[in-house]
Amino acid sequence: MKYSSPLTILTTLLLLHETLYSTMADQKFIENTCKGTPSPNLCLKILLANPKSQNSDLTDLALIGVAAVEDKGLETIRQIVALKRSRPKLKPTLNYCEKAYHAVVYADVPSSNEALRGGLAKFAEDGMADSAVESQACERSFREHGWVSPMTDSNKVMNDVANVVRAIIRMLL
Amino acid sequence: MASSSPSDLENPHATCSYAPLPGGTGDEPTVSRHPKKSAAIFLVCAFLSLAFVVALIGVDKAELNTNEAAVVLSRGRGVDKGVSEKSFRPLLGAENSYPWSSNMLDWQRTGFHFQPKNNWMNDPNGPVFYKGWYHLFYQYHPDAPVWGKIVWGHAVSKDLVNWRHLPIAMETDQWYDEQGVWTGSATILPDGQLVVLYTGSTNESVQVQNLAYPADPSDPLLINWVKYPGNPVLVPPPGIDEKDFRDPTTAWKTPEGKWRITIGSKVNKTGISLVYDTEDFKSFELLDQVLHAVPGTGMWECVDFYPISKQGENGLDTSIDGPGVKHVVKASMDDDRNDYYSIGTYDALKGKWTPDNPASDVGIGLRYDYGIYYASKTFYDQDKQRRVLWSWIKETDTEASDISKGWASLMGVPRTILLDKKTQTNIIQWPVEEINRLRTNATVFKNLVVEAGSLVPLELPAASQLDIVAEFELDEATVMRLNDVSDADVAYDCAKNGGAATRGALGPFGITVLAHEGLIEHTPVYFYVAKGVDGNLKTFFCADQSRSSSAMDVDKSIYGNVVPVMKGEKLSMRILVDHSIVESFAQGGRTCITSRVYPTKAIYNNAQVFLFNNATAATVTASLSIWQMKSAQI
Repeated sequence: MKYSSPLTILTTLLLLHETLYSTMADQKFIENTCKGTPSPNLCLKILLANPKSQNSDLTDLALIGVAAVEDKGLETIRQIVALKRSRPKLKPTLNYCEKAYHAVVYADVPSSNEALRGGLAKFAEDGMADSAVESQACERSFREHGWVSPMTDSNKVMNDVANVVRAIIRMLL
Repeated sequence: MASSSPSDLENPHATCSYAPLPGGTGDEPTVSRHPKKSAAIFLVCAFLSLAFVVALIGVDKAELNTNEAAVVLSRGRGVDKGVSEKSFRPLLGAENSYPWSSNMLDWQRTGFHFQPKNNWMNDPNGPVFYKGWYHLFYQYHPDAPVWGKIVWGHAVSKDLVNWRHLPIAMETDQWYDEQGVWTGSATILPDGQLVVLYTGSTNESVQVQNLAYPADPSDPLLINWVKYPGNPVLVPPPGIDEKDFRDPTTAWKTPEGKWRITIGSKVNKTGISLVYDTEDFKSFELLDQVLHAVPGTGMWECVDFYPISKQGENGLDTSIDGPGVKHVVKASMDDDRNDYYSIGTYDALKGKWTPDNPASDVGIGLRYDYGIYYASKTFYDQDKQRRVLWSWIKETDTEASDISKGWASLMGVPRTILLDKKTQTNIIQWPVEEINRLRTNATVFKNLVVEAGSLVPLELPAASQLDIVAEFELDEATVMRLNDVSDADVAYDCAKNGGAATRGALGPFGITVLAHEGLIEHTPVYFYVAKGVDGNLKTFFCADQSRSSSAMDVDKSIYGNVVPVMKGEKLSMRILVDHSIVESFAQGGRTCITSRVYPTKAIYNNAQVFLFNNATAATVTASLSIWQMKSAQI
């Protein structure tokens, strides 16, 4: 094959153009989707972090979002376990938070995934809404007991991510 | 023990713990009740509290400390920060939160509402009366108290109140329902045969309709089911997304003698209801026209379509049509999680339905219920000739709590549906009369006069399982005299106006249930009457969860709507209290509100009931009957 033949060059250019165009279209789609969420920058960060987002429809983007909630949830559970050792006085509240994040990771996330795949987006929305509430409840429970929360950042991230994903899911309704 | 007649009650040393409100004394109102030894002491308390608290006509009253009552109802309220559906309002100054104790969680299970022993339930399916038994199937997730791969749970009853749980009726054992045996309906054919159409989510997550029938039609318990080997009988038609095609209805007869069903869907944001005709439930013909469509309403889930009698007091078989009949179209709106209905006219030849009032069309007008109420479905009970409504009532606590307690969701109490003959523009819903058989140990109060800004504790043996029926009358004089009015008051909105603590001249007044003494936790159900500049009254009926619990991880919304009140009618409400569910009905069922309530303190022996009038001007006269409700077999 002559690499420098005009036909080859043309084909290659066309392929590159197609890929570039479709990537740009996908990027636009992701951007537009994120504009409809409470935290567009956070949304972009989550979605673009996953290479699969380039070929995703709305359901796929939502699933990427749910995976981000799961990752953050697992990370936060690890944080709670470590805090129980380093801050034993906070144990009752940390136990409450552990249950909250356990619910996120082991109930809300699988339920939301199943719902998204099956086309019953409302159950996925409920799962993400609950995830946000669990993080708020965890954060508040420190305050209610008179403690300064050691988990404010994590709780805020979970709340924000869950609300972003919830907004994406609402677009499917 | 002392008998329960008023003349014996002279003991001035009240043994009751609540602080009475200052007020004059007058004649005690008559109270009658079924004498009960163990309850006599409560009667003593009741009379003493009433004597303290109730001020009567024209008596020289000590200045009512109206501010005190108002403060009691509003102590510790936080500022309302724009509430999204599931963000809960924090209670400033609330007591320390705690993890939910098993004591608190155990209390939440109901005494007489249908619920499986554990895990997750949602939509009611295929309700039917067959060979002497009421059947209820339901969306069930057996593995966790959260939605998941769904099967058909099953239970039977002789009376819609006491239930016998049966094995799972249908599992996800075919490719065409591998991802879920979703919602469906039953049809009884004229020869007595029973068929079920239900939505299956296939192995590829396509929504299809499947036919199933009893394995043994002579088994009244309908334990085993057969899925038609030729399933699916319906797949999404062209132009309909494969994930927007679900919840087939009960079938009804067409003028040509065929069977007709409708299935909700959407095209872009227009909610629609597709119509199919069939002769054998195996092959179907899609009609060109939809039954009805309403732009902007989104996906229509759990569509229901049924006739109601214009004049009669009975329900109607789904196939009935004719001049004395109107038809209801109902749909569950996916977008806002509420069930809407509209009354209109069905054209059987065209397979089309038109609303009587397009401004009150499906999805934009009336709701069955202004609280938590979704995926509802009716059936015609041919035994008692009534149309009965079932609905899924979800939890409004956190998933973490549901996991701790091991279950999630209830069915609402089944309700009969009739056209409201007085208004003609809405239906009335009322708990099935079999529920009344659970009533026991009545406490009756007649003509209690409740001044503006007062609170009346009602002493009861217990307060977690109650049936309360109450009538209220506003004092005419104040209503007539009131001229400092603006149309702002008639623009009252239960959800947005701050609940029972927000005082108007003529309201709020009502009953607060699951109340802790001192009202640290309580759930008021009330009327708010507003007078417009035209002199007309507008009445609102609300249920206020904003102070229902000290816990900060439960929903604290306020629900409600306007309720039509005809000339000469007293204001009436019925409240079923059953642990973590409160169902409230106004004006015989014109406006209904279902609430989920999760108190931490107002539970077991600490739950109480108060009568209240938080209006600034009007006096209210109230008569109530309160029954203890026995537990059913659920």
